[in-house]
Amino acid sequence: MKILIVEDEHALYESIFDYFTGEGNICEHAADFNTASEKIQLYSYDCILLDLGLPGGEGLDLLSQLKKSNKKDGVLIISARHSLDDRLSGLDLGADDYLVKPFHLSELKARVTAIVRRKNFDGDNVIKFNEINVDVSAMNITVNNNPVTLTKKEFDLFVYFLSNKNKVVTKNAMAEHLWGDEMDLSDDFDFLYTHVKNLKKKLGEAGAKDYVKSVYGIGYKFTEA
Amino acid sequence: MKLSTRYNRVNILTSSIILIITGIIYYFFIHLILTNKLDKDLAVEEDEIRQYTRTYQKLPLPASYLDQQVSYRELPGNTNDIREFSYTTYLNQEENDREPGRSLVTTVHLKGKNIQVTITKSRVESEDLVRVILLITLGVTLILLVSLFLINRFVLNRLWMPFYSTLKRMKSFEVTKIGEVSQDLTEIDEFIELNQSVNAMADRVKQDYRELKSFTDNASHEMMTPLAVINSKLDSLLQTESFTAQQGALLEDIYQATGRLARLHQSLLLLAKIENNLITDAQELDFKDLVESKVRQFQELFERDGLTVEVRLSNKTVIMSRYLADIVLNNLFSNAVRHNLRDGRIVIALSKTALVISNTGKNVNDTGRLFDRFSKSPESEGMGLGLAITKQVCNLYGYHINYEQMNGMHQFSIFFDPES
Repeated sequence: MKILIVEDEHALYESIFDYFTGEGNICEHAADFNTASEKIQLYSYDCILLDLGLPGGEGLDLLSQLKKSNKKDGVLIISARHSLDDRLSGLDLGADDYLVKPFHLSELKARVTAIVRRKNFDGDNVIKFNEINVDVSAMNITVNNNPVTLTKKEFDLFVYFLSNKNKVVTKNAMAEHLWGDEMDLSDDFDFLYTHVKNLKKKLGEAGAKDYVKSVYGIGYKFTEA
Repeated sequence: MKLSTRYNRVNILTSSIILIITGIIYYFFIHLILTNKLDKDLAVEEDEIRQYTRTYQKLPLPASYLDQQVSYRELPGNTNDIREFSYTTYLNQEENDREPGRSLVTTVHLKGKNIQVTITKSRVESEDLVRVILLITLGVTLILLVSLFLINRFVLNRLWMPFYSTLKRMKSFEVTKIGEVSQDLTEIDEFIELNQSVNAMADRVKQDYRELKSFTDNASHEMMTPLAVINSKLDSLLQTESFTAQQGALLEDIYQATGRLARLHQSLLLLAKIENNLITDAQELDFKDLVESKVRQFQELFERDGLTVEVRLSNKTVIMSRYLADIVLNNLFSNAVRHNLRDGRIVIALSKTALVISNTGKNVNDTGRLFDRFSKSPESEGMGLGLAITKQVCNLYGYHINYEQMNGMHQFSIFFDPES
């Protein structure tokens, strides 16, 4: 994936950069409006992470520019503004998703991966991971061509793990991903344990290796090693 | 009461009273003046009779003049002289008609005899005059009242037109919309001033609104950014080295606190936004549908605590922001779950008039501060903002939220139309 991070907060940009780099991902950075505008005009990206409040201009204007020049780059707005107007106008202008700060890097990665997947594989939305095949649009998983029946939550969880391969993902982040932060469930991980346990069990029964490791008691890591 | 009605009422009432009183006074004065004039005429006649008697030593002929009759009567010797005016009747011989009259009874001395003289004059003319004057007065009064009424009715209403149109615009004024409150052209100074003041006020309000909005946005932005940095750095930190379980526990605590801080902050911003009416995406919502999907969303939680959920919903649409409706339902549902007993019960009832959510739970002392910010029971894990936000949302849409304990159930009711 080729990603442009438009973010004026250097510390935040660094974290995103570190998290995304690797696995063939290339990240570029623009810290102000003009740099971002230039890069957007010159190059194409799989996904642009767009902060709304930028030095030198409004992030939404960048979005309009992009859409005017008919570019197909995916756009994920990351903003501290929880304002509905911004969310709606952002999505109206053609942004693919909207993430409110503060967010978990794993959530960001999952959403970016989803956007890029949608952009790149029109219709045929299949992820392969060793013996496991995931058809995201049909919500099917097969292990060595054996179908595995998962609940919606388990499926979401698995796709989330796949998007964050080799990363430690916290339980908070996973709970927020599955239930949203409104339900105030993020301090209660009983559900999460159950879902992870069921997921591992179902995949194991279908013949998949156990890729999901518990880490330091605060999260999980989906890894081959 | 409308201003014109009120004004009309006072105006017409006062005018009527004043005109009636004037009429009465007028009547009496004219009556008095005319009677005085008659009396003077009678006195002149009396004088003439006296002079005639003195000069000729005999009574003049009791001839009748125009509208005047004189009669004599001899009185017994030693009666006192009298002289008095009185209202009598006057016999009109020509028309053989009794008319109101005024007579003067007086005494003249002739050759040692006392003779009573009665001079009577017809009052018919003066009475006619008075009547005509009275009629004219009444007529003028009536015409005046009618024209006053018509003026008030039509001219006043037309005069006040700019006021009503300004009022209408003020009513439909929305702080989020652009455009002036009133641009109606009027030549009345007061209304021009009113329009100017209203426009100035609207501008000020809009200015304040913009400032508030940008402040809220900025505050949110400024505080969320460091939080986002902390969160992302924690995520990065987690990827670096192996941690011991103890370090893991510490990290988890930091995560929790950061998450809590973010949620707390978002809740406070949300409260401020609702209070300042900054959430404007009100739309027609199928509330039944909303509640049903919320029940599905909470299904896992219900099952975890072994709660029995009774749902009785009838169709209901509301006009409100979907976002806020979702928040309200989330808060009420989480509340019903969080403060429930193991294997307890939740009843969710939606009718045309109210949404009622009741749940079993421990007895609590209702301190009346349930809907206050940061008020929560000691064992609650929440932030104490959920109900405050819920209440605020209800206020925004004119709903009424009520809490009561009934038969061991805690019951929250939202009345959509508290007036009825």
